[in-house]
Amino acid sequence: MITTAVGNYPKIPDLPAPGKWRTAAERLQKGQIDQAAMREVEDEVTLEAIADQVEAGIDLITDGQIRWDDAQTYFARQLTGFAINGLQRYFDTNIYYREPVAEREVAWTAPMAVRDYEFAHAHSARPVKAVITGPFTLAALSRNQHYANRRTYMQALADALNHELRALQHAGAQVLQIDEPAICRHAQEYDLFADAIQRLLSGISAKTILCMYFGDIGGIYPRVLDLPCDVLGLDFVAGYRNWEILGRAPFSKDLMFGILDARNTRVESVDEVVAAIGKVTAMVPAERLMVSPSAGLEFLPRSVAKRKLQRLVEATRTADGTRQEVRV
Amino acid sequence: MTLPILPTTAVGSYPKPGYLLEARRKYLRKQISKEELTALERRATEEWIRIQEEIGLDLLVDGEQYRGDMVAYFADEMNGFAIAGLVRSYGNRFYPKPVVVGPVGRKSPLTVEWFTYAQSLTSRPVKGMLTGPYTIAEWSFNEYYPTRRALVLELAGAIHDEVVDLERAGARYIQIDEPAIHTRPEEDFELAVEAMEIVTAGTSAYTVSHICYGDVPKIYPAMLRLAVNQLDLALKNEEFGLLDTFRTHAFTKDIGLGVVDAHSHRVETAEEVAGGIRRTLEVIPAQQIYVSPDCGLKTRTIDETVGKLRAIVAAARLIRSELTETGTLGIAEART
Repeated sequence: MITTAVGNYPKIPDLPAPGKWRTAAERLQKGQIDQAAMREVEDEVTLEAIADQVEAGIDLITDGQIRWDDAQTYFARQLTGFAINGLQRYFDTNIYYREPVAEREVAWTAPMAVRDYEFAHAHSARPVKAVITGPFTLAALSRNQHYANRRTYMQALADALNHELRALQHAGAQVLQIDEPAICRHAQEYDLFADAIQRLLSGISAKTILCMYFGDIGGIYPRVLDLPCDVLGLDFVAGYRNWEILGRAPFSKDLMFGILDARNTRVESVDEVVAAIGKVTAMVPAERLMVSPSAGLEFLPRSVAKRKLQRLVEATRTADGTRQEVRV
Repeated sequence: MTLPILPTTAVGSYPKPGYLLEARRKYLRKQISKEELTALERRATEEWIRIQEEIGLDLLVDGEQYRGDMVAYFADEMNGFAIAGLVRSYGNRFYPKPVVVGPVGRKSPLTVEWFTYAQSLTSRPVKGMLTGPYTIAEWSFNEYYPTRRALVLELAGAIHDEVVDLERAGARYIQIDEPAIHTRPEEDFELAVEAMEIVTAGTSAYTVSHICYGDVPKIYPAMLRLAVNQLDLALKNEEFGLLDTFRTHAFTKDIGLGVVDAHSHRVETAEEVAGGIRRTLEVIPAQQIYVSPDCGLKTRTIDETVGKLRAIVAAARLIRSELTETGTLGIAEART
């Protein structure tokens, strides 16, 4: 059993300090610093996010996605073909993102997250996974004004992102995570989703995690087990129905078990988490489990995010009995 | 004072002047007293009242100079909340997200003193400004109540008491902001409707609910069931795309028509704003329209804010004269 983070991490420390990221972002907006200076600050804050995860004892970390304004525009701005529209609510959260609009052909021209992966890998004592937003979610949260229908739009996105996964794999990333929260709300579009994921993962031999949060997989289980990924990342907080859903068919993949609530400050007790791990191991053996929060931790103040990570490790080690070496 | 046709108004917040931002920083570091801070908040409030009068707005707001944030202010003033750290809402915008740690309720009136002060400065009507129960609940962490419903309904009772107190203090327009109302449209919309009924029950004030962003089409026409006279919405943000939604079912309430983008630095021209109003008039009659920015303007600079408000007032005047010329309105209705 290993522990892992899901993705993003708070960019600023708790009050009263404004935090260097926020100060720099304001100065960039006012034209007082340039992009290169902002990038240096992002690097520094990425190191803080890495340090918090490593110090907490997380086995498989992310870079905290400090450079992401949001999970959509980080990629849409770097692919060709997109304009960026106004603010939209991100699922049922208090977070807003700017809506990408596909106005022309969508294509990959250069690596988007490879430097981020290399930076984190070079500065982390623990293995780093690379995370991208998947084609289905990118399609669901953007507007298509170019392609004839959703299928061709999603295929174009899948092909573009396949280039990115290949580039990440080429750069040495051994674990690739594809975030697809939107499928939890659009199970009726499973065929489109499956088609997009197959295209996305073609030629990828690294270990892949398909991560679906903010809901359950009731409409797509057990079909989703047929997809060519190694791990399913599931949310057992917002998607508490997953407890019942997984009982419907043998779970044949590894499970990233999202059990600590990434969206509430209440820090779960060790006993609660240990009990949940005990319950899930009845369906998925411990050696095929990664224990994680339910989603990225940027919903929380940083001090609470760090306490959640510490509790995650404490509880998993208690459940495990022994400290295991990282296997990726 | 009666309002003209196409009354101009604002959504709530205005940017804080430099001296007030500085004073707030000093207050946090305990370098100045609460009284010193309050004196500067009153000064800034008066300045915004004068600016709005000078620009020619019809229905004023107090500018929320005393608030850090529209939810945290209420949480700070009520029982049952603790303040957590900052969380990001978008870009480099962060807000202090409160934590519900016990039973919530008012200790004393939350906004009456500020309303009374702002209204004492002007002969034009000033809106009473509240944050709605669904949004307070949704934008807080809940560590205490077993369900969101229990928390929302308890807060609705508290905000209702505030509506009663505002009306008693002379408020004829009361706005209840619910920007989070469409967070879970399928699961929670009935709860939001029920909560608003509690909030506005028995009031004779003209009530407004400001709702912004998110999937408005998803709660339309259901949103017309909210127990308020006016829904204040962000039209400019999507270049009036919402009008297509309003064509599907008559807009049966008054609308607070957001005609300038509250999150863009660009100041719209009066002609551009007038164009938005003209497009709206094809769908909603003039008698139902109030003209306003998309959202609170606190994230804009003072110059941008003034520029956007001037564009709104100039556009409303332009359209009023057009309506008079074309005979759509009687002279009395068009006079401002």
